Amino acid sequence: MRSRSVGSAGALAALWLFSAAAPVLAHHSFAMFDHTRTMTLKGEVTKFQWTNPHALLELDVPGASGVRHFTLELTSINMMQRLGWRSSDIKAGDKVKAVIAPLLNGEAGGLLLEITLPDGKKLEPGVPAAGTFKRTPEAE
Amino acid sequence: MRARLIACAAALAVSIAPAMARGQAAPGSAVPDITGSWERYGGILSQRADVRRDDPTLPPPSPPPPLRPAYLQEWQARVQAAREADAKGTPLASNATTCLPEGMPAMMAAIFPMEILQSRGQVTIIEEAFTQVRRILMDQPQKPIEDVEPGFYGRSVGRWEGDTLVVETVGVKENVRFQNTSHSKDMRIAERMHLVAPNILWNEITITDPVTLEKPWTLVYAYRRMPGYTLLEYVCEDNREFAEQGLQKSTLGKK
Repeated sequence: MRSRSVGSAGALAALWLFSAAAPVLAHHSFAMFDHTRTMTLKGEVTKFQWTNPHALLELDVPGASGVRHFTLELTSINMMQRLGWRSSDIKAGDKVKAVIAPLLNGEAGGLLLEITLPDGKKLEPGVPAAGTFKRTPEAE
Repeated sequence: MRARLIACAAALAVSIAPAMARGQAAPGSAVPDITGSWERYGGILSQRADVRRDDPTLPPPSPPPPLRPAYLQEWQARVQAAREADAKGTPLASNATTCLPEGMPAMMAAIFPMEILQSRGQVTIIEEAFTQVRRILMDQPQKPIEDVEPGFYGRSVGRWEGDTLVVETVGVKENVRFQNTSHSKDMRIAERMHLVAPNILWNEITITDPVTLEKPWTLVYAYRRMPGYTLLEYVCEDNREFAEQGLQKSTLGKK
């Protein structure tokens, strides 16, 4: 198991570390994201952008009223690399499941908390204080 | 041949000795070898699993800024405005959210790993976040503040007092804020860096400002060696920020 996989001791320790240090270590406040609920998106990656201050994931999510495009923010690629992420982990065309804290303003975007890759592997980007985002169970 | 060797050795000793006395560590000298990668230890990270709370090398908690009344009021209002903006889901921007470096002394909080390089006449400190670099000029006099052009890192001069690196910095821009506090152009930052254990470095930072502070503001940051860690690059490439979107909608952020 690689260190970036959810459940590995290193990643959990790192997440715990960052949850303790949230206000200082975050590049900005995460107050624009909804802390009271999460959304689970199933869609196709159109772009995975490996940049600072944040990596970004563009996702097309099909729904009853057509495809909705979401822009998702991750953490700093430096923090992600220290957790074991690689720029090649996600590619355009990948079918993924993303758990996000949605934007409070209702726009189609949010903060990525966890992603499940096509091979079933789960990754977390090490969001500071990730535990403060109340998880909404995935709808069947 | 032997004479040549002795001459070479003597020349080497002459050329190295002053450099060792300045930036670098010489074998047997009091100057410690602090070159390498470091991570913040204690303080904000003190809940980390491998940090023992009773570790005597953990630094004391940082006190609040001893600001003069007018600046204290302004600081409290700023903190409150940030809190209210957060509560509305429209956080305010800071230098960092607009991709500007933190500057001095905030960069010494080392939110990401930090590298120290000791070289001839200079100690260089690189903070991974925002690729911040400061140069500490060794054994040089400090200039009068009015002769230093204001910048994010200011002008730092240093010297070794035994095993302690003593640094003074002036010339930090007034829009470079540390912990949301204002400072004047007359601010001075004194630092005393020394090893409190073979792999733990303390930096006692004392900020003085005759305009904004009632008394010197001293806090201690500790760092732990990161053997084998090479700093990663950090370029603030795409600031397409939700924070910015929020900012545009926030009246608090219009200033």
